Amino acid sequence: MNRQPRYKSVATGLALLAAAWTCLAANRPPEPATPAVLTAMQDELDRSMAVLSKADPAAYFISYTVADRQYIQVSGSNGALLSSTQNRARWLEVQTRVGSYQLDNTHKLPDRPPSWTSPGNTVALDDDIPVLRREIWRETDRQYRAASQALIKVKTSQQVQVQTAEGAAPDFSREQPHTFIGPRVQIHVDPKPWEERVRKYTAAFSKSPSVLNSIVTFTALGMNQYQANTEGTKLAFGQVHYRLELYVQSKAPDGMDITRYSNFDWLDPKNAPDDRTVFQSIQKLIQETQELDNAPLVDPYAGPALLTGRAAAVFFHEVFGHRAEGFRQKDITEGQTFTSKIGEKILPDFISIKDDPTEASLGGQMLLGHYAYDDEGVPAQDVELVDHGVLKTFLMSRSPLNAIPHSNGHGRRQLGYVPVARQGNLIVSSSKTMTDAQLRMRLIELVKQEHLPYGLLIDDIEGGFTFTGRAQPQAFQVTPLVVYRVFADGRPDQMVRGVNIVGTPLVSLTKIVATGDKEEIFNGYCGAESGSVPVAAVAPAILISEMEFAKKETSTDRPPILPPPAHDPEAREQQP
Amino acid sequence: MRKFVALSLFAAFALGFVAAPAHARRAADPAQAPVPPGDHDLTLRAMHDEMQRSRTRLSLSGVEKPFYIEYRLLDLDVRAVTASFGALVSSTVSRSRYMKVDVRVGDYHLDSSNFVSEDGFQGFLGPTGQVGIDRDYNSLRQDLWLATDQAYKGAVTQMSLKQAFLRSLTKPPEIDDFSQAPPLVKIDPRIEPDWTSRNWDDEAREASSVWKKFPQLYGTRLNYYLIYVTSYLMNSEGTTIRESHTLAAVEAALDTQADDGMPLHNFYATYAATPSGLPGPSALSKALAQAAAELLIFRSSPLVPDYTGPVLFDAPAAASLLAQALEPSLSGARPPLSMTQDYDAFIERLGGRSEWSGRVGTRVLPASVSLVDDPTLKEFQGQPLLGGYDIDDEGVLAQRVSLVEDGFLRRLLMSRRPGPDFENSNGHARSALLSDSEPLSSNLIFSSSDELKPADLRKKFLDACRDDGQQWCLEVKQMDNPALAAIHREDFSNFVGTLGGGLSNGARMPLFVYKVYASDGHEEPVRGGTIDGLTLRSLRNLLGAGNDSTVYTYMQNTSDSLAGTALGAFGSAQNGIPSTVIAPSLLLDEVDVRGFHGEPRRLPLVSSPPLQ
Repeated sequence: MNRQPRYKSVATGLALLAAAWTCLAANRPPEPATPAVLTAMQDELDRSMAVLSKADPAAYFISYTVADRQYIQVSGSNGALLSSTQNRARWLEVQTRVGSYQLDNTHKLPDRPPSWTSPGNTVALDDDIPVLRREIWRETDRQYRAASQALIKVKTSQQVQVQTAEGAAPDFSREQPHTFIGPRVQIHVDPKPWEERVRKYTAAFSKSPSVLNSIVTFTALGMNQYQANTEGTKLAFGQVHYRLELYVQSKAPDGMDITRYSNFDWLDPKNAPDDRTVFQSIQKLIQETQELDNAPLVDPYAGPALLTGRAAAVFFHEVFGHRAEGFRQKDITEGQTFTSKIGEKILPDFISIKDDPTEASLGGQMLLGHYAYDDEGVPAQDVELVDHGVLKTFLMSRSPLNAIPHSNGHGRRQLGYVPVARQGNLIVSSSKTMTDAQLRMRLIELVKQEHLPYGLLIDDIEGGFTFTGRAQPQAFQVTPLVVYRVFADGRPDQMVRGVNIVGTPLVSLTKIVATGDKEEIFNGYCGAESGSVPVAAVAPAILISEMEFAKKETSTDRPPILPPPAHDPEAREQQP
Repeated sequence: MRKFVALSLFAAFALGFVAAPAHARRAADPAQAPVPPGDHDLTLRAMHDEMQRSRTRLSLSGVEKPFYIEYRLLDLDVRAVTASFGALVSSTVSRSRYMKVDVRVGDYHLDSSNFVSEDGFQGFLGPTGQVGIDRDYNSLRQDLWLATDQAYKGAVTQMSLKQAFLRSLTKPPEIDDFSQAPPLVKIDPRIEPDWTSRNWDDEAREASSVWKKFPQLYGTRLNYYLIYVTSYLMNSEGTTIRESHTLAAVEAALDTQADDGMPLHNFYATYAATPSGLPGPSALSKALAQAAAELLIFRSSPLVPDYTGPVLFDAPAAASLLAQALEPSLSGARPPLSMTQDYDAFIERLGGRSEWSGRVGTRVLPASVSLVDDPTLKEFQGQPLLGGYDIDDEGVLAQRVSLVEDGFLRRLLMSRRPGPDFENSNGHARSALLSDSEPLSSNLIFSSSDELKPADLRKKFLDACRDDGQQWCLEVKQMDNPALAAIHREDFSNFVGTLGGGLSNGARMPLFVYKVYASDGHEEPVRGGTIDGLTLRSLRNLLGAGNDSTVYTYMQNTSDSLAGTALGAFGSAQNGIPSTVIAPSLLLDEVDVRGFHGEPRRLPLVSSPPLQ
């Protein structure tokens, strides 16, 4: 999971193609009128299929997606407004598949790296049906031509390459059509108060000399999606989402980069965090930054570790979740850690895991990975992945496996990418729970058993990366941001820095010995093959009997030579 | 290379600007420059204070202190509107501020600049970035502080790499790295944007709706870019500058396919110093209708055959051709020292090698030809020139430069980077969006001492055609500009792919070509040709020039090192530097034109949907 906001780069605007939302539409009565975009799509779908299904090569499936995205973004840095923008754009994607469900132009070839990005174009914002139809017509022709060429390569390759078992699974699954026309959503936000707030919040960060750079960003996103395909699916649904992100950068005296981040997500404008809540968060980040700056570096360590719920949630997302994504089981370059393990025990039997994008919130808190339909027009489904330690299935897009022929509504992507199976709301539950105090006692017991001076408590984790490819070791590495030593002799906990958690998934997951009794939610954006998608991970705290920590790579760039201008006695007098 | 160039279309908004008239004065002392009363812009004050602190106190123990520090800031207000066939595609307003800090260690003879290497300092924030737009004091000082720190550490690292590299050379270059320039102080009033004077969304809808009458068009885009820029420059030598500029542009693209499958496009562009100078929707729709009609004429015209012989370039086509062929040779700055051969090869491939460097005093063009670049010129025959400015991007006063006199090379365009022929700047350092400044043309004037009336030039053309034993010869009325004509991302890449490695050998793309019959002078449109081998040297085959000099306004593309290459002539208001070429019609002998030999794309299987 990647939660870092991008540095204030010129390209920020482009990076914003990433989209996050939560569906409101499903709960409202449908609008009677068909939106103009859908009408234009249906007209072109009928015309195109009538001709292209009889062409050589024949198209067997066409789908159109228009993402109508409205956003307001207000960003501040170091006490000043960085930008305040409003934008609306419609992005058209056309998928034209030629060949058959069994073998089509998207078939993965061993000698051709897959294309993760998907072509598309901006189209008219005005509901001018003839203009929309012309854009759709143009893009359909472009994609049909590209698909025809790709199919020739696939067929040639089929004649010369050896086929693997999973490579023989169909390229595309046939799904039931779905129709849903929801009301159009819109965001109504006055950016002015937010401009004041981001100034105020980042100015508060600047009071600490430890904070070198701060960025606070408020985003309001209203997304209306339209989908239509030749199987009969016809969808129009809208989603809104609000987010406030706080981000600070610092440097320890030895040059190590220190970053702290926190975010608030909400669906209803009245649930926006108030100043008091935000300032509390700011104070916490400042305090952690200052403590981290001065924290000692920890040596490589192997031993018991306790992960708080939020940290455990990220841990499960990285270590288990990515390996449960169906398309990885199909790709022979993937490590396929769990491919042949359906029905087998991969976790302690007190742990169950599901991915449920159908839930918008949990215990009153928003779940960022919620959606009603996935990016292939399939309704979201609650998927039980692990039942009492036993692996049940994988997350599926419309790219089927031999054993799992259909999508379970997890085909997801960032605009501009091709959907693959991704996580939504990954929810870990446990039947062997303890209170926080009991967990801590158990940690100390384990430390003593191992004759170690201390164990580690991980309070926050920064995603990191996971190798799932076959060419790399089947290892994962996640970067804990806030780590404490918990001493066996009862001394107070001590914050440390400079370690990564390393390990192999099969081993680590089996070493969970106990869990906490409270679920914690982590909302964030996950970057993978199909781009950055909003996800949530929910987990209780976990105690792991043995976890390995390695030294983190550090920067050679030392802290700035001069003190911050606002904290330089000689410079301060100059302030107007 | 494909990817490299394709990226340029996605570069963020860059600036273009038109100098506001104002007087510059020499700095009496490098103290803080006064801001007019009532001006709440604290930018210069923050720049000044952080500059002073850095000058006096920034140093790493055991390492030399900076000898030169430069701060550049750019406030950019952009209104961008796009429409197609009468429908709005996008409409945005943005305000942003960009910062760039340059710190140099060493001295004017040998400093940390002018060196390309793959290694270097890996900082955590870097010396550039987007910063706060409040024009306040505290946030800017904080940002400048960090950027200066990063730039200084970068310079120290770069200097040691450069010195190591120099030691490996048998003969290190003797040319200085940086030339002296007198400091300037100039603080103009800020020009604040006003987007309300016209309803740009409705104008875009209205003007582009004329295309609905042309159902043979496949795709269209009409873009408005209205840009307000305030640029700040301060250096440790005492230069302090704040200038405001504006630029307004309408750029349009339209495409279709001929019946045999050949993809065809056309573009339209008009530029003005201010938004109010842009044509209204009715005038614009006439121009857009004409662009559509032109395209459709060529859609049904025959193909260009392979051809060698005289070609008449109408004035706008001649100007575009000159921008492509001349620009790479106008700069007198020496190229940076490079540890990577790829860099040189890349510039070479794009036709970016100078043919004139080291040739001052020799004949480079026909004896009748003179060439001047004049950023101080405000208009030509009553038409405003958008390529001018008062002070260049290194804070040097703009100067008129007489490049070629009666065919002899006399001067070159100079920034503060010296070259083999000249040392000092003549005020031609230009950049877009705080990219590295380089010597580029502004208002480039090509003139001939024996100009002919258009009728006489045409007669000469037909005579040459007959003398050559040809039934007909070719006339180019307009050259292509793929940066403007590309509607889709892949179109510009395809264009560059088509030119391939031919750029360095003078491959050029005409847009509208006509066969002109020697017998009676009648014209016949033909499509699909490429000009081969038209290099700077080909201009020596000049048979004649008209007395019809016109102003050709274009945007020099500075993204991805394209500036100063043949591709630099292809930019848009989104990423370019406003420039003009003033040139007459030109008659060239012995031009090679290659007909279309590519694989035509098949026509869409599904017929186009109705537009009305």
